[in-house]
Amino acid sequence: MAATITKLLGLRTGLVLTATHRPAYQRTVNLRDRMIHTTSTHQAWTPRREPTHFLQYNKKVYPPTPHGETERPAFICHQKTNIKYSPQKMWYVACLVRGMKIDEAIAQLKFINKKGAVAVQETLEEARQLAVQEHCVEFPSNLWVSESFVGKGIVFKGYRRHARRRFGKVEYKHCHYFVTLEEGEPPEHYYWHRRPLTPQEMLEEWLESQRRRIIPGAL
Amino acid sequence: MAASRVPVICRFSQFTVKPVCAASSCLISEPRTSYICNYPNHKYFGTSTGLSGKHYNPKFKRDRKLKYIKIDFPNLSENKDVEDMTQDEIRAKMKEKGIQPVRPWQEKPLFISSTSDTFEVYVPPEGDGKISVTTAAGAKQKLELIGKKGKSMMAIRELRQFDEDFEANEFAEEAQQTYINTHEALIKLDEDRLHQLVTERAYPGVVHEVKHKTVRWQFVKSLEPPRVVHVRCTNMITKENVFAQVTVRFHTQQILAVYDRFGRLQYGSEVVARDVLEYVVFEKHVANTYGTWRIHDKIIPDWLPPRSAIHRTYRKEKQEESEESAETKSTEVLQKPATEHTAAATN
Repeated sequence: MAATITKLLGLRTGLVLTATHRPAYQRTVNLRDRMIHTTSTHQAWTPRREPTHFLQYNKKVYPPTPHGETERPAFICHQKTNIKYSPQKMWYVACLVRGMKIDEAIAQLKFINKKGAVAVQETLEEARQLAVQEHCVEFPSNLWVSESFVGKGIVFKGYRRHARRRFGKVEYKHCHYFVTLEEGEPPEHYYWHRRPLTPQEMLEEWLESQRRRIIPGAL
Repeated sequence: MAASRVPVICRFSQFTVKPVCAASSCLISEPRTSYICNYPNHKYFGTSTGLSGKHYNPKFKRDRKLKYIKIDFPNLSENKDVEDMTQDEIRAKMKEKGIQPVRPWQEKPLFISSTSDTFEVYVPPEGDGKISVTTAAGAKQKLELIGKKGKSMMAIRELRQFDEDFEANEFAEEAQQTYINTHEALIKLDEDRLHQLVTERAYPGVVHEVKHKTVRWQFVKSLEPPRVVHVRCTNMITKENVFAQVTVRFHTQQILAVYDRFGRLQYGSEVVARDVLEYVVFEKHVANTYGTWRIHDKIIPDWLPPRSAIHRTYRKEKQEESEESAETKSTEVLQKPATEHTAAATN
């Protein structure tokens, strides 16, 4: 193959190499130096347009639970890619459903007057269906949203006119939406560090803060 | 008159409209914000645009729109799979892009290293052949068996033309080893090894529902020595192209436990060994010098008692078209069929 290409280009090994005495096995034309590629175009690098890692969690197989231990709850990861909506705006919707039961989340989203809410609702419904069909979940209502977050998708660049022949950039943004549904009841406080403290805990915290303070000039 | 006019503080703008000059001929020019009150929807949709980012003057809306250079970017949210699209949609899409329709692909994959069926299937006698010969059914069964045995002998003779060293007893032992190797490859889901041990016809059935599961299988012992019960030879296309099918009876003790992706027990048990009686069909392309005996089929008789229940239940999906299933509610909880390789019958 290489020989044919060199022939086509009128190159000869003798011409390419300098007069220095090189062994015969080194007398080859390096096509990369000539900026010629011999592989097909489909092997060329292309930018990745969709996330690849998140759905891999669905393929992870966990070892059998030992007898007497609590069983691992089933979960399912699902995503919707390249939604025509700004990721910054989608964040509000994604935060809303976090830690909710699936039915509650869908019911709430129906009252959100945002474009992103429709996409999120669709994703949740798809995930719920997949959980029952493929991921050993028996009751579709027995799920809660354990993860819900947004990723940045493709951004198309556009232009707008300004005065005096100037141009401004316009970004047409897309976003990805990721969700994980977990079997069982949601935890009482999704954000554990924000839970309301009990009087006992408050007392302990206050005591700790008192002990930690530095009194200048003290013994 | 005009001079006496008090400066008006416009409700909507920051600047005040000053009185125009008092010359008699001078017309009072309208303040720049007059359109606000002329705007028909002003009463309901005021100019308090707030956070919406819209300009309060809808008059030049179109001009502002024209500032943006329209670009065509692909609709990424539309269904990307060609399989999901209807014929008209595909046609419209191709027409839009100016692509010629492709020629239909008229090739059909064909396996010639294995047959697609089991010929003259062996029917295991009911109750494992323990029915009395004195009864009418028992006598009939015995007679049929003798007839079949004769045919099997003929088939062995034909088989020996290609495979001179074929011995039924020796083969049964070899078959059992293949059977065990298949199960071990299946647990690891070693696809290359499985293809060496299982024919193309049996492969989908063997690996069905095994992916993303943990299978614990153990061969404890053989309760009875394995026995060849049925032999058939068939030729395909030409007379010399012969396939041999041998049915082997296995009576063994096995342990099986199937766990789902999350490590929860789905079927069986890891501590209880069960007696298993199975009739497995092996096939070999005897005309081929390099042919091997591979698992081809498993015979499941009609009289097989129902299998033991699974631990988890599932929801039966609604069947389309049939009216009968529509009547039975979808909430019906049913027992899941056991996995492919589980025990057929127990003692």
